[in-house]
Amino acid sequence: MDGQSGETRIRVLVAKVGLDGHEVGAKVVARALADAGIEVIYTGLRQTPEMVVEAAIQEDVNVIGISILSGAHMTFFPEILRLLGERGAENIAVIGGGVIPVEDIVVLKEMGVRELYPSGSSLKEIVEFVQAIGKHDGHR
Amino acid sequence: MSESDKKLAASRERWEREVRKKYIEAKPERRPRFATDVDIEVKPLYTPLDLAERGFDYEKDLGFPGEFPFTRGINPSMNRGEPFNVRIYSGFGNAEDSNDRYRKILAWGADEIQVASDLPSQIGYDSDHIMSKGEIGRVGVAIDSLQDLEILFAGVPLNGFKRVSMLGNSIGPIMLAMFIALGEKQGLKPGEYFVDLQNDPIKEYIARGTYIFPMDKAIRFACDAVEYCARKAPHWHPMTLCVNHMNAAGAGSTKGTAFAMSNGLVYIDDLLRRGLPIDRIAPLLDMFLDEREDFFVTIGNCRAARKVWAGLMRNRLGAQDPRSMALRFTSYSHGGETLKEPMNNIVRIAFAALGYALGGVQYLYNASYDEAMATPNDQACKVAIRTLQIIAHELGFSRTVDPMGGSYYLESLTKEIEQGILAEMAKVEELGGSLMAIEKGYCQGVITRGAVKRQREFEAGERVSVGVNLFKSDENLPLGAFRVNPRVEERQLARLKTLKAERDGERVSETLAGVRKAALKGQNMVEPVLDAVRAYATVGEICNVLREIYGEYQVVPQF
Repeated sequence: MDGQSGETRIRVLVAKVGLDGHEVGAKVVARALADAGIEVIYTGLRQTPEMVVEAAIQEDVNVIGISILSGAHMTFFPEILRLLGERGAENIAVIGGGVIPVEDIVVLKEMGVRELYPSGSSLKEIVEFVQAIGKHDGHR
Repeated sequence: MSESDKKLAASRERWEREVRKKYIEAKPERRPRFATDVDIEVKPLYTPLDLAERGFDYEKDLGFPGEFPFTRGINPSMNRGEPFNVRIYSGFGNAEDSNDRYRKILAWGADEIQVASDLPSQIGYDSDHIMSKGEIGRVGVAIDSLQDLEILFAGVPLNGFKRVSMLGNSIGPIMLAMFIALGEKQGLKPGEYFVDLQNDPIKEYIARGTYIFPMDKAIRFACDAVEYCARKAPHWHPMTLCVNHMNAAGAGSTKGTAFAMSNGLVYIDDLLRRGLPIDRIAPLLDMFLDEREDFFVTIGNCRAARKVWAGLMRNRLGAQDPRSMALRFTSYSHGGETLKEPMNNIVRIAFAALGYALGGVQYLYNASYDEAMATPNDQACKVAIRTLQIIAHELGFSRTVDPMGGSYYLESLTKEIEQGILAEMAKVEELGGSLMAIEKGYCQGVITRGAVKRQREFEAGERVSVGVNLFKSDENLPLGAFRVNPRVEERQLARLKTLKAERDGERVSETLAGVRKAALKGQNMVEPVLDAVRAYATVGEICNVLREIYGEYQVVPQF
């Protein structure tokens, strides 16, 4: 990873999946993570689950953060988890945010999404959660 | 300063010193500084002195409604005559599902339907495209072809309500053609019904993200719809300059209004170059104003925007027809809704709507209280409509024109906002206009900084959301989120397959070849697209032809 500094930084892939173009939430989270010293890769809009998983593996990230406001979360989260499993990359934690009904949050967490942040969540919570995952991962 | 102002200034100074200062020493105020989202510092009290300090001049700044500069309203009677139109933004699932909802909406007395289409339709992908997976019928109704629109409006004639509208930001001429063709199917002439489009692609590159083509091509394509209407259906409104999405994303309403007006100048420039005079262009344009943090700024922004627009049209573009100078606008009452205790959103939305109504809106629609979570259910949708009807008809809100006019506070705000809009427009112009400002990332930067600032203020508790960061509630109960029919995808794919098998394939190929030819020649695209739409060519097929010729917008992701 970051060979020069000699210490392992937490790496996060922030991704917009599907056709939803509301990216301000994703950008604000990306900036907050970067401000906390976390290495952030932002995919931009219109990614497929395949593209996200491929990028996450290539970039050797600890966490994938998905933002969805279009209601397509019950399609994309399970697909991303499935593809990670298929590639033997279950160690990459998946978190998400956006417009997600409470009922769906319960179901998605049971499926293996680590945490979900509906609109109104605080950046601090998200940053701390990612840092905790990074600490747990240690030097992979 | 006049003698009476001098006297008043002395009295104010005395009040400050002898009354207010002592009072707040004993009983401090909640904050050292009160300010709005658009960074206007709000003083504890406004008096005629504030107007004098800002050079307020009744005749020049306000005048009379229906006359330049239209600050108080675009006509002399406003809500006393016909109240603002009650619009609803609706669409989900397959066309049949939404048709059912439309019948209910009209039975509840809504004046207008704005069709919400799903993201694949907005971005020019058919339902069978790989990118459409999971998105079909989600944020709106799936529309692949004219057939879907026919089902959507089955038994709902377009002349049976006041206006029909749609977004179609990157596919304006296609949506325009769809509504012309649908009118034909319903036996109506364009003169017998009214169509509005959002059709404002530039802001998609700044904020909303449903772009398809490179920006210059998108602008030309959008303007084709305006040119067509100017010549064939001048009572339609084929373009709406949008503030909403840029403000929502973080611009703030003053800068958002400035950006939207600057974008408007780009479209107008394109249309003038086609030989249309300004007085045949400007009356076709609407605006989509937005402010969601401050009730009084909402009203001030509406008034200031009308004044700025009137000045731009008359003084800069030489318009002579008052209809060119009178800015009609639409608004969407939303922005503060929370997932927690969602019934509270009814109150938030009602106050937002009241701000726009007092600001002199023409077309107004409300979010539903469950919209922070999912597509609105029937009940929530009905409350949204009823709220607007109550504002239009109860409690005296509609009895006089510009009822808040003359408030020392509001007039001060209106002046400051007007100056803010003009200053930001000048900044965009210095950068070389909207397109350069976007290419240089200026507008996007304003938005991201604004979004970060809002989030920081929220987390610091300076920006209050009751039940979320003040009077915190643990209630986070499932409200019974509305579910789009789970078979929507399957049904839509089956319909599309049947359509492709049963339509006259030769006619489709011929008309698509016509689209290609017209695009290569740089002709107005509405007529050839209309031929393709009539032949049941799909949105995706038409867009694919255009993608080949126009190319696609490429963006480097940044945050």
